[in-house]
Amino acid sequence: MHKYILRRIALLLPVLIGVTFVVFTMLHITPGDPARMALGEQAPQEAVDKLREEMGLNDPFFVQFGRYVYKGVFEQDLGRSYITKRPVSQEIMNVFPTTLKLSALSMVIAVILGIPFGIISAVKQYSTFDSIVLIFAMIGISMPVFWLGILMILLFSVKLGLLPSSGFYSVKHMILPSVVLGAQSVAIITRMTRSSMLEVIRQDFIRTVRAKGQRERKVIMRHALRNALIPVITVAGVQFGYLLGGAVLTEVIFSIPGVGRLMVESIKMRDYPIVQAGVLYIAVAFSFVNLMVDLLYAYVDPRIKAQYH
Amino acid sequence: MVNKRRILSILCILALLIGSLAGCGQSGEQAATDEGTVKDTLVVATSYDAKTLDPHTTNDIASSSVMAQIYENLLTLDDNNELVGQLAEKWEKLDDKTYKFYLKKGVKFHNGEEFKASDVKFSLLRALNKEGSAVKHVVGEIDPDQIKIEDDYTIVVGLKRPFSVFLTYITHIGGGVMLNEKAVTEAGDDYGMNPVGTGPYKFKSWVKGDNIVLERFDEHRNIKPKFKEIVLRAIPEATSRTIELESGGVDIAYNIVPTDVPRVDENPDLELLRKVNLSTQYLGFNCEKEPFNDVKVRKAIGLALSTKPMVESVFRGVGKPAMGPIGPGAKYFNKDLHIPERNIEEAKKLLEEAGYPEGFSTEVWTNDRKERIDMATIMQSQLKEIGIDLKIQVLEWSAYLEGLKNSRQSLYIVGWTMSAPDPDMGLYPLFHSSMKGSNNFSYFGDEEIDKMLEDGRILEDSAERQELYYTIQEKIVEKAPWVFLQNGEEVVGTRKNIKGFKPSPMGYHILYNAYIEE
Repeated sequence: MHKYILRRIALLLPVLIGVTFVVFTMLHITPGDPARMALGEQAPQEAVDKLREEMGLNDPFFVQFGRYVYKGVFEQDLGRSYITKRPVSQEIMNVFPTTLKLSALSMVIAVILGIPFGIISAVKQYSTFDSIVLIFAMIGISMPVFWLGILMILLFSVKLGLLPSSGFYSVKHMILPSVVLGAQSVAIITRMTRSSMLEVIRQDFIRTVRAKGQRERKVIMRHALRNALIPVITVAGVQFGYLLGGAVLTEVIFSIPGVGRLMVESIKMRDYPIVQAGVLYIAVAFSFVNLMVDLLYAYVDPRIKAQYH
Repeated sequence: MVNKRRILSILCILALLIGSLAGCGQSGEQAATDEGTVKDTLVVATSYDAKTLDPHTTNDIASSSVMAQIYENLLTLDDNNELVGQLAEKWEKLDDKTYKFYLKKGVKFHNGEEFKASDVKFSLLRALNKEGSAVKHVVGEIDPDQIKIEDDYTIVVGLKRPFSVFLTYITHIGGGVMLNEKAVTEAGDDYGMNPVGTGPYKFKSWVKGDNIVLERFDEHRNIKPKFKEIVLRAIPEATSRTIELESGGVDIAYNIVPTDVPRVDENPDLELLRKVNLSTQYLGFNCEKEPFNDVKVRKAIGLALSTKPMVESVFRGVGKPAMGPIGPGAKYFNKDLHIPERNIEEAKKLLEEAGYPEGFSTEVWTNDRKERIDMATIMQSQLKEIGIDLKIQVLEWSAYLEGLKNSRQSLYIVGWTMSAPDPDMGLYPLFHSSMKGSNNFSYFGDEEIDKMLEDGRILEDSAERQELYYTIQEKIVEKAPWVFLQNGEEVVGTRKNIKGFKPSPMGYHILYNAYIEE
């Protein structure tokens, strides 16, 4: 098991270097000059040229890339923001807690609502409840986040005056964005749980368990759910990975200073070091969540645990 | 039983998780005030977060809006755009190139240091140095070898050449603000996050991308603001700013967009404040590119466009249709200019004379500002009538700027905001041939206009100077490097009980005079 985890972590390094290379390339072929953006449109050209030289932006592409990787790996230095001049790790860590809070809350909402809805829908297939859940899940999946966000703001902030429409300071501020961001995940998890449950319920071993005279609730919760959860965990994990990457639209609509918004602003300002570090952070977060999901499998399904060595 | 226990424990964990997440709030919570307590915090919604609070390294409105509360200059402009001393008690002009400033005594910086002539010298030299690239256009005429300290409260500043608008230029929030040498040196690279000035508010905290908190500076020599703290919240979504204002989440909201103006205007709890600002939106021609190097083509396009209704519909009554290169808020604005009538026949005739009887295809550039894209769309249909097939290219700002600076554009829509109301600031950087590619994106050059622009910088304010600038504006209209579109307007919404606040035409609004009417 430990070996397996170590192997997974070792595999992370080439992934990160690959991701860095792709982002580095994309940033460098995008038009727009970081030195110009840092100094403003009225700065004299010679000052901009001088700054480009200082930033090392005139060196050949591979020299720049090599320098970045070398500094990152051997000196743990991801550089400083071109705009604020602060270390990028600090800039990312300043906004990371906010994004973590937002995504964790949305995930909690998604799991608390999605799994029970999915189970009940599956057990009571074709009932009125099932139809209602399916309709809502359909709406949840197809409704764009920014649209839902604006509608919710109109209803809860403007019309009813119950909740604030922007910021992320107190529990009250967190309700709307988490619900809006979680809506899609609720829908996805509900549908996944439902279809996965339906598949498991029809299997022979469930009939066997029932034939043994087990109570229906135990059949569903203990035997069926455990097997049905595996694909649900995968989906939930991927969802959480996405959310950690900074729910850009939600953060923009509700003016939440998270990773997503920082990245968007930094791309606009051509603040390369922040964008690079931000993408690295997202890649690490994603890989970490994936690893967690795989380990959860082992916990849920002993057959998988047996394969880890 | 076991199941119940398990469910219960899961619920407990969840409750703890949510509790802990919700519990770790951050600064900015000051924004939410409890009813019943005396409100001593002013909450302002801005459209962007500041880039940095180091005045020499940036020149954007969002940063200046914050800096205007923290820093002060030697001189500033009053409501009538007249020069008044801020940190200077008085000043004299010794000759065409030399100015003497007598500083106010006993002025304190936020770190307790006293403001002295050495700080003036340090600030000006730093602005002239490589740290000051963003404000070079403001202080560039100062000769670094001619800054002489006479005593702690007297300093002489010499210029490279006669420059009559020098005093107006140094009222700029950026190039002209006074820094404390000790604070700058101690903070090093982090100075932009630890600013120290002499203004009525001092810096307290900054959550990047979210809010900046300023605290009243109780030792200010004469300004005693009513609010103990100001929270400037960056809310880029225009609609969210308006909603926050309506729901009382903020007291003042900047940049109310045209679509939200009626909502704020009709709301009995709110006040809508408007002030024509110093910005001009324009359609520029690249005068070095065919066919726009021919003035007839430029004029034909100007005649084919019906700018007045276009601007009125796109901006929904915010701002005014523009008549010339500078707006009515600027000194020496030529009131005799007018908006030309649309004349398709005349436009076609001019195109024919220029050798394009059938018209031609071209491209207009704009960035992703909605109003600009809307205007480009209207132009597209209006120019069809004279045979011009216009394609619209929407670019993201950074790429747009790079294209403009490298002369890749044919037609482009952009705006210019003067940082002080002197006509020099709205004309020289945009039409002088030495500024091609710097801010003169029309790549326009005309010897006669160059000469007049240079003279305008030497003449003292007088009837002669006024006459000169009237002529410059007429000549520019005649040569048509631009089609003038709109003079902008500052539109600010406030809660009804906020008094003493006046929007500034420069876009960085002063907040320290605001108070609550009980």
